[in-house]
Amino acid sequence: MDAAEKLLLTFIILAAVAASVFVAVGWSTRLPEQEQAAVQHRGYVIPGRWFTGITLFLLAVFVGTIPFFPYLAAAAALQPAEKVPVIAQQFAFIMPGQFPLNRRILFEVTSRDVNHGFGIYNPEGQLIAQTQAMPDYVNYLAVTFHHPGHYIVRCLEYCGVGHAVMEKDFTVEGAPPAPMPMMQPPSTNNVGSSNESNPFE
Amino acid sequence: MIVALAVCALGGLWFLIRRHIELSRPLAVLAWALIMLGVVGVIVATLVGRFGGLYTFLYPLPFHGNWPGWSTGVFLIGLVLVNVGWMIWCLQMLGAVLRAFGGLRGALAWDYVWHRQAFQAAGRQPPPPEAFPALVAGFDGLIAGMDATLLGVSLLVRWLDPRVVINPFWAKNLTYFWAHTFANLIIYMLAALIYVGLPYATRRSYHISVVLVIGWWSSMIFILTNYFHHLYMDFVQPGILQYFGELSSYLTAVPVTAVTVFSALMPVWQSRTRWTLGAIFLYSGLIGWVVGGIGAEIDASVPFNLHLHNTLWVPAHFHTYLLGGCLLFVLGWVFLLLESRSARETSGIMRGTIVALSFGGMIVFLLDFYFGGAYGVPRRYATEPAPGPILAQIATVGAAIMLAGFALAFAEGLRLRWSRAIDRPLWPGELREEASHEG
Repeated sequence: MDAAEKLLLTFIILAAVAASVFVAVGWSTRLPEQEQAAVQHRGYVIPGRWFTGITLFLLAVFVGTIPFFPYLAAAAALQPAEKVPVIAQQFAFIMPGQFPLNRRILFEVTSRDVNHGFGIYNPEGQLIAQTQAMPDYVNYLAVTFHHPGHYIVRCLEYCGVGHAVMEKDFTVEGAPPAPMPMMQPPSTNNVGSSNESNPFE
Repeated sequence: MIVALAVCALGGLWFLIRRHIELSRPLAVLAWALIMLGVVGVIVATLVGRFGGLYTFLYPLPFHGNWPGWSTGVFLIGLVLVNVGWMIWCLQMLGAVLRAFGGLRGALAWDYVWHRQAFQAAGRQPPPPEAFPALVAGFDGLIAGMDATLLGVSLLVRWLDPRVVINPFWAKNLTYFWAHTFANLIIYMLAALIYVGLPYATRRSYHISVVLVIGWWSSMIFILTNYFHHLYMDFVQPGILQYFGELSSYLTAVPVTAVTVFSALMPVWQSRTRWTLGAIFLYSGLIGWVVGGIGAEIDASVPFNLHLHNTLWVPAHFHTYLLGGCLLFVLGWVFLLLESRSARETSGIMRGTIVALSFGGMIVFLLDFYFGGAYGVPRRYATEPAPGPILAQIATVGAAIMLAGFALAFAEGLRLRWSRAIDRPLWPGELREEASHEG
């Protein structure tokens, strides 16, 4: 089961459980009628508990997701990486067409005209990393490619009538090409990272 | 779709609040006319002027297209008119709620929550449930409207003088703050129809509780702070706002489920609900709200958003609560009125057919969006990469079935309207009392 199937299954189960509660309550109108006061007397215990329970649950989920935030990689941004400038413009990406395997790439993503998206799809067609490409700003996205093959970058922010055709192919090859100059990334917080893996895998 | 449902919500809530306090009709008509005029401007700019900056119109896209400059201007003026109409409505609604229920303190039911014994000893009553959506829409709507005014004026100045430079990131924050708040408020406003319609269908009263009031207080705040999740992939956004965005988006679910799920389910539980077409639509809309909310919460999780941002998952969740929630609330309300005025109900066969077609088709239609999103298919693509095309074909079949169901519902609505047997009062509340006497 791949990541997308797991995500869909999770959503469908949660949605089905929620819908079942409504169907069950709707079905209860076939049972003998109860006075509203009696229903309220018992029923009002639930919202208070639900309020507390769901709040604590969501807070726990929030804390649980923090390690997977891409922004935390700002601390890890001090690691050496190959800086690769990416310039987006209507309707193309200006960037290299080849990247080495298992080497940390730090994409410096910006735009020459309007807002664009910079989404990297792996050879299996999965969206593995993304950031926005904005005029006047640079978003830093760190990615390490662990699998060789044919990757595609697609624009993920509507940028005009040619939005759907705005893409760029690149390959990741097993034998690393000649080393590029290693540079330290800037110590800003506008850094995201992806280790070419889905957090919901 | 958003503006159409927003207009339904504006009209519905206005109608309900007018039961409690006199509202100026000319002012409401002015608000409506300005919104409609703005919509005409957007349609002209898009269809005649070929404006292609989309409804999100992220700066500087409106000024970087292959469409004539006038269409950008007409589009922006159209949006400003929509916003002016919206703000007039918000001002009217906020003023009405504050006058009707004892100022901000009374409308918030502050004393009901914090000084309950004294409140009850004085024989005071908290505002009716529909006052809370009106207060929240008026208050939050005005704040969003002011934001939109700032943005709209900035863009218009840029349109008039191309030398003016706007910070695109500032504009992006303003755009999403307004757009998200406006779209989000629609379903909260339509919740008022549940508060008044469901008691009519279930023959029970809707009970105000402290939990419900606190739920609305927190919604009032979270509606304004949720938009940050639109900028998760903007790593230049201050990090603290990204964390706050996820936390706020999560906590939104608490009042919604507490207010929606329990407060709406309790009147139904073991009641004498008449499952007319109106009651079914109204009740089913709650499922769309909750299921759409589940999709939204997944997308609002930053680690998932990294893989779902601007994919079909986004329209998946908002179609679920706009189509499967808001539209059903509106249809439910309209059918309750039609049923009450005609004193007739839809036959069991017709009801079953409408429900099977519209809900079955809707599930197929929406699920394809979720599948597409999970597989990374980008949104807003004229031609989608795989598996987008095959999913779109299946979704088209689902949409056709759903539309057949809604077409039948429309025909049934006309039948009820034409076969009006007696000129009964429009207001179901009076009928509810009648029903309880009959019962």
